[in-house]
Amino acid sequence: MGNSFAMLMDGFQTAFTPTNLMFGLLGTFLGTLVGVLPGIGPALAIGLLLPVCLTVNPTSALIMFAAIYYGAMYGGSTTSILLNTPGESGSVITALEGNKMAKAGRAGAALATAAIGSFVAGTIATLLLAFGAPWMADVALTIQPAGYLSLIILAFATVGTLLGSSRIRGLVALSVGLVIGLIGADLQSGALRLTFGNMNAIDGIETVTVIVAIFALGEALYLASRHTIMSTEVLEMKGKAWMTREDFRRSWKPWLRGTAIGFPLGVIPAGGSEVPTFLSYGVEKALSKNKDEFGKGAIEGVAGPEAANNANAAGVLVPMLALGLPTSATAAVVLVAFQSFNIQPGPMLFQTSPEVVWGLIASLFIGNTLLLVLNLPLIRFWVLLLKIPTHYLYAGITTFALLGAYALNNSTFDLQVALAVGFIGYMFRRFGVPITPLIIGVILGPLAELQFKRALQISQGDWHILIAGGFPKIIYSILLLVIIGPLVWNFKKKFAVKK
Amino acid sequence: MILKISKQAKGELVFASSLFLLGIFVAWDTSRMDIPQGSSIVSPQTFPYMVAAFTSLVGFVLILDVLRGRLGTPEGDEPGDPFVGANFKTMAIIAAAIGLHVILLEIAGYVIAATVCFFGVSYGFGSRKYLKDFGISLAFALIVYFSFTKGLNINLPSGFFKGVLGNG
Repeated sequence: MGNSFAMLMDGFQTAFTPTNLMFGLLGTFLGTLVGVLPGIGPALAIGLLLPVCLTVNPTSALIMFAAIYYGAMYGGSTTSILLNTPGESGSVITALEGNKMAKAGRAGAALATAAIGSFVAGTIATLLLAFGAPWMADVALTIQPAGYLSLIILAFATVGTLLGSSRIRGLVALSVGLVIGLIGADLQSGALRLTFGNMNAIDGIETVTVIVAIFALGEALYLASRHTIMSTEVLEMKGKAWMTREDFRRSWKPWLRGTAIGFPLGVIPAGGSEVPTFLSYGVEKALSKNKDEFGKGAIEGVAGPEAANNANAAGVLVPMLALGLPTSATAAVVLVAFQSFNIQPGPMLFQTSPEVVWGLIASLFIGNTLLLVLNLPLIRFWVLLLKIPTHYLYAGITTFALLGAYALNNSTFDLQVALAVGFIGYMFRRFGVPITPLIIGVILGPLAELQFKRALQISQGDWHILIAGGFPKIIYSILLLVIIGPLVWNFKKKFAVKK
Repeated sequence: MILKISKQAKGELVFASSLFLLGIFVAWDTSRMDIPQGSSIVSPQTFPYMVAAFTSLVGFVLILDVLRGRLGTPEGDEPGDPFVGANFKTMAIIAAAIGLHVILLEIAGYVIAATVCFFGVSYGFGSRKYLKDFGISLAFALIVYFSFTKGLNINLPSGFFKGVLGNG
């Protein structure tokens, strides 16, 4: 613990140089700018901004990323409140109550409770991250390949089956992701898979290309395919973005409860920010003295879920940094950002690159504070961005996404891949298949194979090693609970209905 | 089994079947893989076979799901919403704009490719103010080009404008 504190102070020293502070500020600005655009969630926002960071030194770039991460989250909630088009699943709930508040002329209070709640939750959760992640990394050093594999499989199962409305469709997305992850040369033997003699495919498919294309191009193709382009109304904001004493009194408990729900659910792979925000909303509704306000614009219904969403975002970084296991699309993009600087998150990260990781954690604190200072006064500027006409917005997103795909390797092959992935994204969108499991599959598929091979090499080919030892047994038991639990639950419900 | 398959279900059946075929395809590709000499205990074919089996299985279950009438609903739509057929014409315009960007980028340079793409997508989304659209497209392309090549030192193909725009 004491050690973590000293390292964190070193991190602040790294982050507080004028150059790095400037990158933090730039990241906050760009993150909010892109995140506030309708139709862009945090994962796509970070993916689009990745090329901007490529020429900067790793430490500064990751500091910028930390700021973009929180900035994009914050921008997303602004869009939900004023436009009622949540860019990502974590903001759905915010749109529910926040948009109602805005319609009732209380947009200022909704934006303020979202911003301050995000700050409170982000600060507490980042503190927990700073002390939790090194601890988890220490534990993780003792995990054997078979145990690691069981963790990956658990992540597959939870991300695949907990997201979206249909379990089979989550697994569909996962399987397509695994297939994309196979493309290229096998790491150990060099055998070529699914390359069809194309030299460009030997190094595999660039993950950023997949992420940017599936979100941006898939969405553009989908929206264009619908006859009616939805026209949404931007709600006017009257007065200042600030809260009354009464608003504060009603918000502070939901902020803390939201943090308590969001952080742990981010640390364990529970499938992104959907579950915690819904849970927080349910808790606030149950505990509130103003139940009749829910559904009509209750401030608790914005404060709690927004805090849960931000705490969740920090929680997800714990397994991402300590185990190298991303469990949300946004964490996956951050992981890719690390890899593009040849830094591999995982148990060794805290030993091999302490200045990078502690600089990053310190920047999360700084970025979070900058957001609060920067965004409430700038809110009128962000509102202007919401008025960009849809056709220019998607033209810009599409063109910029293609630039991102090209700039990574300066290769048109990546652009062809982007177009193909865009079509997959369209079909997923059209048939209600969630996207996050695909991204998790692309990233964790090759890692799963690596651990699988390592385990069997240790045991000289004896498959029993995969379930030998206490750790894998515990994880697989949890897995059974996750899979069988809902089935029993559904069966009971059906049974009750029949009776 | 429902024998009468709605138009909506047909599209999803094609999607589910192609997933099933994707699994078989991966298995076929894996079976003809060149395995380098001196491979380790675990063959490089083992994992792909597992992925192939998983993909086909999931595809098969999805086919059954669709046949039982459980169709996928796009996020943001309610399950009961009336089915809206896809407008493939506007979609083709977007796809063409992206395709043109891919083709033009290294032949004509970034500025032209991006202008065409931006203009094409905004046309596909229903904008018909050609002059204004063109102006905004060109401005967007130029701003991006200069901020990347001059501001961030990331090279983008300069194409025809090599002399005019400087060596990007």
